[in-house]
Amino acid sequence: MANTKDIQRRIKSISNTKKITKAMEMVAASKMRKAIEAVLRTRTYANLSWATVLNLSQAVNGNSQEPHPLLTKREKIKKIGIILIASNRGLCGGFNAAIINKTQESIKKHQYIGEKIVIEAEFILMGKKGAAVHHYYGHNIAAEFPKLDLASEISEIAPVARMIIREYLAGKYDKIMVAYTDYVNASKQIPRVKQLLPVDITTEDEYLGIVGKDTRLGIDKEFIEKKKRGHLADEKYVYEYTFEPSPKEVLDEMIPRLIEVQLYQALLESNASEHSARMAAMHQATDAANDMVNELTLFYNKARQASITAEIAEISAGANALAK
Amino acid sequence: MSNKIINFEIVTPERVVLKEEVAQVTVPTKQGEITILPNHIPLVASLMPGVIEVVKGDGIREVMSVSGGFIEVLKDKVVILADTAERAEEIDVKRVEEARRMAEQTIKEMRKYDQKSFTDVSARIAKELARTKAVKRWKRIKKID
Repeated sequence: MANTKDIQRRIKSISNTKKITKAMEMVAASKMRKAIEAVLRTRTYANLSWATVLNLSQAVNGNSQEPHPLLTKREKIKKIGIILIASNRGLCGGFNAAIINKTQESIKKHQYIGEKIVIEAEFILMGKKGAAVHHYYGHNIAAEFPKLDLASEISEIAPVARMIIREYLAGKYDKIMVAYTDYVNASKQIPRVKQLLPVDITTEDEYLGIVGKDTRLGIDKEFIEKKKRGHLADEKYVYEYTFEPSPKEVLDEMIPRLIEVQLYQALLESNASEHSARMAAMHQATDAANDMVNELTLFYNKARQASITAEIAEISAGANALAK
Repeated sequence: MSNKIINFEIVTPERVVLKEEVAQVTVPTKQGEITILPNHIPLVASLMPGVIEVVKGDGIREVMSVSGGFIEVLKDKVVILADTAERAEEIDVKRVEEARRMAEQTIKEMRKYDQKSFTDVSARIAKELARTKAVKRWKRIKKID
């Protein structure tokens, strides 16, 4: 039987830890609320602008004109750039591990064609914990950008967007992906890897953050999917757009903007996911601490009682011996 | 066509500014101001900082300021993807004037700065100007009505 003093000490230390995890849970909850608000605000814009670009890419590529470099697929893919959005700090359950494993999986899927490595992957990190891709899997890290816990402005993402567009056009990368965690609800987040460049309408799963019907937005996944299917299935749906001033000028301005918005949305989704994950993890930790304190209290009481019983037995034994 | 209504929607990254059925929309594009009526041909254009005016079905007019973005016109739908936009009644004139004065002062002092921040400040001035114009236009309309 453990010493009562030791047990008492452990109870003390665990309830201190519990206080900390409880506080972290509260902090994460308030951050999560803000992050979710931000995500919902931007979703409409992100999805509408994506729909517009799909329309456009269809219209422009359908024409005989020279296609826009950001819309055309490259025939041979040698190197891909992956923007990995992770968290700055740990203690958020499997959040970082999930996104990193998902990324690795999708690289592997693309990488091995006949036992030979054909595609090289390089990472652009947002969030400090993303550095684990290098430690675990040995991927190169091309750049690391600072990430705030709560993104507030779209201009925060501008340097990243500028960099990837520049490097893509320069031919350093043949494909740009973004790995982020999609926020579904407070208890469910899905890690995703999405192609950003070239803008490609035939790739599945393009829409950020729309899961089922969101009445608050008045826009739902089916609506957009229908729109998309309509466009893909029927050539007649290709709109003959008039561009002002010219297709090239409009697209030159619009596509970088779109990339920025998509990245921003991915960042917001990841933030909301991170804070929910942390909140859930801290909630579990608090619960576990509670259980442990209860169990230890039981042990403590048993130990205390055992020692009292032993003492009484000793005293009465002593008294008996004297009486004889 | 019996359909004389445009589904109009103006969104910014921060929010949906207005979503309404309207009869006509006037926007400032790079090549000048255009007015869109129902059954317009599909069009995509980039916007200048300026004033957007919509006329609703019942003849009531709404004025908004915009700082740039894009307009996509489909057969019976107009989507404006604005960088920032406000409805005229939400704009605080005093603060706008103040912001513009500050920006203009900075630009006078900033010959020494780089190209990037120079264009940033110019954009800010254009945006504040657009806001002022929107408010003025709105007040004029309200008086006429």
